[in-house]
This record gives sequence, C-alpha cells and structure tokens, in this order.
Amino acid sequence: MAQVVLKDVVKNYGPVYAVNRVSLTVEDGEFVALVGPSGCGKTTTLNLVAGLISMSGGAVTIGDRDVTNLDPKDRDIAMVFQNYALYPQKSVYKNLAFPLQMRKLPKEEIDKKVRDAAKTLDITHLLERKPRELSGGQQQRVALGRALVREPRVFLMDEPLSNLDAKLRVQMRSEIKRFHQDLGATIIYVTHDQLEAVTMSDKMAVMNGGFLQQYDSPANVFAHPVNMFVASFVGSPAMSLVPLTAASKGTQVVLTSPEGWEMPLSDANGRKALSATSNKVVLGGRHSTIKVHKVQVPGAVPGKVYTVEPTGDVTFAQVFVSGATVNVSVPPSFALRPDEPVFLEFDQDRMHLFDGETEMALRL
Amino acid sequence: MSSITEYRSGGMGWRWAGRIFLVFLLGFTIMPMAWMLITSLKTGFAAMQYPPQWWPTEPTLDNYWRLLDPSGSVGQDFLRYFWNSMWVSVVTTLLAVAVAVPAAYAFSRFRFPGRTFLFFAVLLRNMFPAVVFLVPLFILMRVLGLVNTHGSLILTYLTFGLPLAIWLLKGFYDNIPIQLEQAARIDGATRFQAFFLIVMPLSTPGIIATSIYSFIGAWNEYIYAYTFLTRHDQMTLPVGIQRFFSENATDWPGLMAATFLMSIPVVVLFLVLQRYFVRALTEGAVKH
Repeated sequence: MAQVVLKDVVKNYGPVYAVNRVSLTVEDGEFVALVGPSGCGKTTTLNLVAGLISMSGGAVTIGDRDVTNLDPKDRDIAMVFQNYALYPQKSVYKNLAFPLQMRKLPKEEIDKKVRDAAKTLDITHLLERKPRELSGGQQQRVALGRALVREPRVFLMDEPLSNLDAKLRVQMRSEIKRFHQDLGATIIYVTHDQLEAVTMSDKMAVMNGGFLQQYDSPANVFAHPVNMFVASFVGSPAMSLVPLTAASKGTQVVLTSPEGWEMPLSDANGRKALSATSNKVVLGGRHSTIKVHKVQVPGAVPGKVYTVEPTGDVTFAQVFVSGATVNVSVPPSFALRPDEPVFLEFDQDRMHLFDGETEMALRL
Repeated sequence: MSSITEYRSGGMGWRWAGRIFLVFLLGFTIMPMAWMLITSLKTGFAAMQYPPQWWPTEPTLDNYWRLLDPSGSVGQDFLRYFWNSMWVSVVTTLLAVAVAVPAAYAFSRFRFPGRTFLFFAVLLRNMFPAVVFLVPLFILMRVLGLVNTHGSLILTYLTFGLPLAIWLLKGFYDNIPIQLEQAARIDGATRFQAFFLIVMPLSTPGIIATSIYSFIGAWNEYIYAYTFLTRHDQMTLPVGIQRFFSENATDWPGLMAATFLMSIPVVVLFLVLQRYFVRALTEGAVKH
C-alpha cells in the first residue's frame, strides 16, 4: 500500500475545466471519499489518478513514484467500476486471473491467488460461472475480487455501490469498510452520496465545479464546513441557510430580516458577522441545533410551518423563515400543523455564519 | 411467428388475417426459388412445355452434372466462374473487415478533429446509385491498368462495402462499454491488448455479420463485373451464367441449375453463422 499525492492536478477540455488545481494527499492505508454532485469532477479526478485520461497539468505520485506520465497498467493500481466492467466472455475464475496473467505470473501462483481471493469474498462456488449468470451483489463481489487479487498499491472505486438496491448497498458498505480495515488498503472512493462518504471514509474530499472545496475528516467537514456549498451538501437533512443583514445595535450585533425582526448574536458571533465583506450574512443551522417554540421566546425568529414529515423516532418539518426554508426536527409528540406560526431558536454556539458575498464561512 | 401473434392484443379475426397474410408472403418469396429448383431438374424439352409441368415427369440431375463436370466445356467454364467469384468475394471481405475493424473502433472511441465530417464522408459514397460511378471508375481502372483484372472488382466492391462495414461495426463498438477496456488497461493490458483480448472477442458477432454482408454484396454484384471484365476466364458468376442465354435459345434448366448452385454459398453462410446474429454477448457485462 502506498501514499497518493495529487499536486495542482488540472484537466480541461478547451475552456471547460473538469478538474481545477486539485491538490490532496491520501496517506498510506487511508480511506478517502471523493464526494460531490454529478459533474463536480470527482470521477475525472479518479480517472486521472488511474491514468485513464491524460492530465492537462499537475502531477500524481503513488508511493515514491511519479506516475503522471505512466500508463494505467504501470501504476500498480486496481479499480472497481460502477458497472463492474466484468469481462462478459470470461468465467469468474478467468476474470480474477486476468490481471495476474497480464503480469505473467506462473500458473500455479495464479491459481492459488485466485482461490484465496475467492475465499476471502466468499465467491468460490461462483468461479465457473459467467458474469451474466450472477446477481448484482455477486457481480459486485467479483469486481472487488478482481481488484484485490493483485495486491495493488491503491484501490480506486468509482461509485461501486450505486447500482445495488438499498438493502444490499448498506450490507456492501460495511463489507467494503471491513475490507479496508483488514487489508489496511489505501482506497480512493468516488461517490455522490454524502452519507456513504461520511460513514465509510477517514477523510472526505468535497468537490464542486472542478474545485476541491474541503478536505478533512467527515466529523470536521460536518462541524466546520468551509463554505455554503459544503454546508448544504453534507448532512441529511441539509443545513438550512437564511440570507440576512448584520447591523450593530449599541454594543450588540443583530441579524435583521427584510420583514423587520431582529436576532441578537452572541459576542463571538457578532464579531464574526462584522468581519464579513459586506453587511450581508447568511445564517446556517442544522436541524439538531434549532429549537422550535410555539410562542415567542427571546432570541427566537418567527416562521411558518410548510411541511411536516413524521419518520417515527423524530418528526422533520420545513419552516419558512424570511423567504428561506429551514429544516427542523421535533419529537413526535410535538404536534405541528402546516401553516402554523412557530418561533425558531438557533443555538448560538453551534450556528454557522457565512459571508453573503463570498459564501465562505465566517471564522474568528 | 406464433409468439408475435400471441403477444399482440386484438381478436381472433385479426390473428388469422395476420397468419394468412404471412403465409401468402412466404409463398410469394418461396415460389420463384421453388420454380428455379423444379426447372433445374427438368430436361430442356420439359422446361418448355405448355401448360407447364408443375413437377417434372422425368426429374434429372443431368444439368448439375454438366455444370460440375470439369472435363466438359460447360463445366470447365462454370467452375472457373465459381472460383473467380469466390476469390473476388473472399478477398473483398477479408480486406473490408481488416480495414473496417480498426476504422470503426477509432470512430467509436476516439475524439479527433474532423471525426464527424469523416464519418459522413465515408457514408456519402453510399448515397449515390452504383451506376453514377460506373463510367468514372471504369476510366480510373483503365488508367490504372486494372481493367480485366479481379483487382478492379475488389477495389470497387470495397468502396461500397467498406463504408457499410465501418458503419455496422461502429454500432457494435458503441455498445461495448468503455469501462471494459479501462478495466483491462488497469489490469495490466496495453491499449492494443485491451482491444485484442477484450473488445475484439465481444465484437465477433458484428465482425461476422459485417463479413456476410460484404461477401453477399460482392458475390451478387453484376454491373461492375459486366463492365470491367471482358475476358471469359476472368468472369464472375453473375456475368458468366449469361452464356446460357444465346441468340437462338435459352437453356432454362441449365441456367436454373447454375443459379441454384450460385445461391448455395450464401445460404450455407447464413445457416452456419446465424447463431452469431442472435447472440447477445455483452449481456451481463455491465448492469444496465
């Protein structure tokens, strides 16, 4: 296994930049998720690491080797594709043996490695079958087997679970995670599903528009999103964002809405708000940090219930606040009706403030 | 047939009407062939009788023996034509496939400047009727000194067959997921190996379909062969069997026997290779 370093990696098609100056380091044995909406450049980034497409700029090192100009076959990597890409004319055995044959290993060694990999993934009974005779989950295992049979330095996975049904996906998610722990494998994993990224990875790289937005542990990305995009992309339901205006009122800083209400900020939050490039400040809050009241309490802001979604343990609701939608959660016993007026109290210690112009998080 | 009619909604009446129509259609296509076969078994006298004999009273294989007897003059010529046709068609097919496979793959996989233009330029040739090119190609062949050679026919058939072959094969390559090659390249194959070991085998049905198409086109072609070849020993079958027409009389049974023998290679090709047409090889390669 090995460390992977991307340095100022660029891929452009004429004026269109699919990947724009992305730099990140994947430590040896780390599980890194590349996550973002479709078209954000995550798959392109993975293909650049694999060498399947040529780079427009920058460099990639795997271990101590600069692989920027190497063919995929010389990079000592393995890849699992979204559609599995099993060779349809070959049996499972031959699918697993192919990477070893290409490396001209002796027959006995190939046989041993194939059988070991099959045993690890519990697909020994499928070895003589053709891919089309397998279920989706079995195909997925074979694809994984073909990747691990060669003991590569890095595993690249491109949305490997997105073709599975929901139940199987959860099961394979934990299997891949255990696979990572048992092998100590370095894995770069592309997904559009932020939940997959949060649950599986040691670090997540959030991408948007070809740029790397934030690269940190899931906990840090969740707690300290660097900008409004990351804030709204990570977490379910998404963080709510309310555009407001900051104003000084005596010694205090308040956020005001066009409707005329004011929300006083704590000292720390006040100083953050004043550091914005203009007086436009966006208030961000996750549902777990917002208290819902039926009557006005000091510091709470008025809103109107839009939808109510009971899930059993907890009831989610969407509340209109100053033209924005705010996701909140209440206990099932807390009865909310659509169109009911409510008051939302944002936790001063856990609220997020963003610069209304740059969309960056305001920090002290 | 039955599965189609069963699948269709609609009443019994329509179902039967459909069947009757299909039987009629079948008769319409089979009749001429049946008549060809029947006539080929008749003597010259029996073939000319009126009302016609629906079944020869004295069926004979003499017409076939005559054609296949290398010691007789008719047999000698016929076998010569047959060999010429086979040679021209096989060489045309091999060349067409050899060029079309890489060309179609390139059109399918690579983005290069002028790609769309080139692809349609390739097809442009097939938008004109063959006669349009007859005189220009004849002049060209004369300049090249290829008149009365099989080379002139092979080149000409390629100009027809290649565009079609490229077009057909491109469709096949388009349907083979690019991830298969990518997987192969990551598994240690070079680009060429990925193509040769993974993609080529998957496109076998396409290559075979293309070959049959190209072979039949060359095998049946008449007008260019008639124009470019004047020497008897060079002629291909479609032109050669005209010798059964003469000024005074037409040897109908002989002509029909020759025609029947000429259709055999095509029929055999279809029977042997038809399973490749229906084999859905990429099924199971990827999840759709």
